[in-house]
Amino acid sequence: MNPHAKLIFSLSLIMGTTLTISSNHWMMAWIGLEINTLSIIPLISKSHHPRAIEASIKYFLVQATASTLILFSGMINAWLTGQWDITQLTHPTPSLLLTTAIAMKLGLAPFHFWFPEVLQGSSLTTALLLSTMMKLPPITILFLTSHSLSPTLLITLSIISTALGGWMGLNQTQTRKILAFSSISHLGWMTMIIMYNPKLTLLTFYLYSILTTTVFLSLNTTKTLKLSTMMTSWTKAPALNTTLMMTLLSLAGLPPLTGFLPKWLIIQELAKQEMTPMAVTMAMLSLLSLFFYLRLTYYSTITLPPNSTNHMKQWHINKATNPSIAIFTSMSILLLPLSPMILTTI
Amino acid sequence: METALLINTSMLLTLAIITMPILLPLLSKSLQNTPTTITRVVKMAFLTSLMPMTLFMYSNMESTTSYWEWKFITNFKIPLSLKIDQYSTMFLPIALFVTWSILQFTTWYMATDPYPTKFFSYLLMFLIAMLMLTLANNLFLLFIGWEGVGIMSFLLIGWWQGRSEANTAALQAVLYNRIGDIGLILSLAWLASTLNTWEIQQTTPHTQTPTIPLLGLILAATGKSAQFGLHPWLPAAMEGPTPVSALLHSSTMVVAGIFLLIRTHPMLTNNPTALSLCLCLGAISTLFAATCALTQNDIKKIIAFSTSSQLGLMMVTIGLNLPQLAFLHISMHAFFKAMLFLCSGSIIHSLNGEQDIRKMGCLQKALPTTTSCLTIGNLALMGTPFLAGFYSKDLIIENLNTSHLNTWALLLTLLATSFTATYSLRMTLLIQTGYTRTSSVTPMNENNQMIINPLSRLALGSIMAGLLITSYMPPTKTPPMTMPATTKTAAIILTILGIILAMELSNMTQTMTQPKQNTCSNFSTTLAYFNPLIHRTSSTNLLNGGQKISSHLIDLSWYKKMGPEGLANLQLMMTKTSTTLHTGLIKTYLGSFALSILLMLLSTLNLN
Repeated sequence: MNPHAKLIFSLSLIMGTTLTISSNHWMMAWIGLEINTLSIIPLISKSHHPRAIEASIKYFLVQATASTLILFSGMINAWLTGQWDITQLTHPTPSLLLTTAIAMKLGLAPFHFWFPEVLQGSSLTTALLLSTMMKLPPITILFLTSHSLSPTLLITLSIISTALGGWMGLNQTQTRKILAFSSISHLGWMTMIIMYNPKLTLLTFYLYSILTTTVFLSLNTTKTLKLSTMMTSWTKAPALNTTLMMTLLSLAGLPPLTGFLPKWLIIQELAKQEMTPMAVTMAMLSLLSLFFYLRLTYYSTITLPPNSTNHMKQWHINKATNPSIAIFTSMSILLLPLSPMILTTI
Repeated sequence: METALLINTSMLLTLAIITMPILLPLLSKSLQNTPTTITRVVKMAFLTSLMPMTLFMYSNMESTTSYWEWKFITNFKIPLSLKIDQYSTMFLPIALFVTWSILQFTTWYMATDPYPTKFFSYLLMFLIAMLMLTLANNLFLLFIGWEGVGIMSFLLIGWWQGRSEANTAALQAVLYNRIGDIGLILSLAWLASTLNTWEIQQTTPHTQTPTIPLLGLILAATGKSAQFGLHPWLPAAMEGPTPVSALLHSSTMVVAGIFLLIRTHPMLTNNPTALSLCLCLGAISTLFAATCALTQNDIKKIIAFSTSSQLGLMMVTIGLNLPQLAFLHISMHAFFKAMLFLCSGSIIHSLNGEQDIRKMGCLQKALPTTTSCLTIGNLALMGTPFLAGFYSKDLIIENLNTSHLNTWALLLTLLATSFTATYSLRMTLLIQTGYTRTSSVTPMNENNQMIINPLSRLALGSIMAGLLITSYMPPTKTPPMTMPATTKTAAIILTILGIILAMELSNMTQTMTQPKQNTCSNFSTTLAYFNPLIHRTSSTNLLNGGQKISSHLIDLSWYKKMGPEGLANLQLMMTKTSTTLHTGLIKTYLGSFALSILLMLLSTLNLN
């Protein structure tokens, strides 16, 4: 792609995100969201593959609907309460509409149908952007309005998300779709805790972003788009393969890796709030996603494939490994002992 | 003072003499046993045991001596204590006398056996265990003797171990005895936890004893003494050699159960439930065994069922609250039953192994001594006046008729009495009279001192023992003094009726055609169908139930279906359903979004 165009799109992404995060007027929030949508569409359809074009169209349609709903809810709130402040969303109807709109933006079930296909159609780096960067503004809005949203609806959405993320992920062989459903599950965890302790939502989101970045960048290095490719990725970068295994287990939420921290804190908070059945349900449903993470680790690192390659290591490596993988991998595996510090700074 | 010393010393001397053949061969290679030495040892022990018996008869002194205490739990005493009272002083000489005679007979009977010394050692070990059981003052020592006789019974029944029927019979004996042992252990446990003792003196209660330990004791007696329900092992035990049947399964081992009830009688006295249970159980046993004996054709089985029937009678006596009378019957019964078995052993060897009475006849001329003793034994068994059996059996029936207890039990016992006469006379007629039905060439020879001496000794005992023992054992309970004439002569009348019946029936069987089968004779011949019914069903049910629980329920259901496989199948179903929902069509997606929003709005509006 033309470097100038790329620059403009990237800068616009950053600007749109910053705009939404720092706004307290519904209009500004909507503007930021729209700038984000518009600038990422070309990035998705960069490769001009029919799949990519289809992905970009699906993305556009859904996101446009969602942004409209956000503006609409802000407008109704202004009509009913006379003010456009984001944090003062007092009437139940606009808050319901806003919740559904944010759900659509994020990819929470039952508004998640677009997400796997969009992720599948884009390249690995664009998928990374879609999973991490594009979720930041909606989560910020959720954070700001968390005190006025309906708890029942949020709990329902979160449980359905975790469950669907788990069940759907079991039947996938494309790594991008697997990561899409893992994203949906994690979003379920994030939404569960937002009414009791919104800071934990943000913590979960940050840690999830680090983890997902690691996974996407590792997969990008070995160009692993399906499970069968994953089985022979150990020849391309053996050390990276091993750390990929640890990162995947961290995504699954296994102690003593970093990914355990958000789950632990969320379950603790839920137990404190006398919501133990919810905590148990979420933990049980995470077992489903654990299964497909384990399957990924099996195929990548733990077992050797039946189709053996005829060399131990490829002599010709296409691209140099991204050095930031090292930083992100270390963070995604080793951050658990620093949890007191993390808690106090969030 | 001297009496106590003498009585204890002579009892210990008897025990020491008996245990010598077991201990001495272990000390030196040159002191090995032979059958003759063991026989002589038992004779010596018998003569020595006459001393405590006469001392007791003279002075009525009983003693309890405690030799050692097993300090294994701090506040629970398990002493090694022996009780020398009327039961043990009377039983010891009788048992030793009978054993001496049987051992003398065995030296002739097992002459062609490859391991005679081992056989004698087994019999001796059995005797030691039985004496320990008799002399025990606490139930722990009694239990040791109990288990000892059980094990020796197993080894002796399966003596000819190449024979599969013998092995099966031995196993059957052990299993049925074990079921009885459960009862004994139950009582032991109850006594230990409630009364903190196993000494019999300390178990006498002031008020009514709870029924549970008594049920345990009755179960133990049912197992060991072959009462109805746990009886099939006794006829099957006839697979062992005849000396084994004579010693174990007529005189000594099978009475151990009754002996237990006699010893623990103070506990039983004031519990009418337990007493009625004994009464009814004994009545059923005696009639059942007598019915089965009517159609048996094997000599040893007839005598075995006769033993079983007499054991039922002893149980009836216990149920009538008359332990001393039961003991009296045990003593009398030992004499004539052992003699009957020895006679049958002599007949079997003389006919080269033939045990079927349909193939015997007119042996009165060929084996005079044996058959005369057989007749004496049968008469004693039937309760002929003033022979041994009369003194105990007639007393029992008089007490039964004048008691205020269960009429039904009474009727059954009277019926069994007449059946006793019937089968005894049938046996006598078929073996001793009529035309001979044996094969032409038989090694008939009873001119051996080893046969004649024991038989004549036991015959003397069968005749004289009744008078002697009852003269010197004063009764502990008042016997019934007056009763109507028919009641007094009820036993005799019934016996004569039984004899008449037997003679009538034998007159009817002059032709050799196959008897017609009808329900009653089938019932008697197949021993009331008890064996196939119980043996097959109980093992099938247990094994099937076990397989169902362990394999079906636990392995397949809980560990597979409820666990991994079932859960995995559920998840698979959900995954398939949700995958088909993700069609990839954006219009469907947007439509579902719209529908969801609509539903949510409507639900919240309804709530408001």
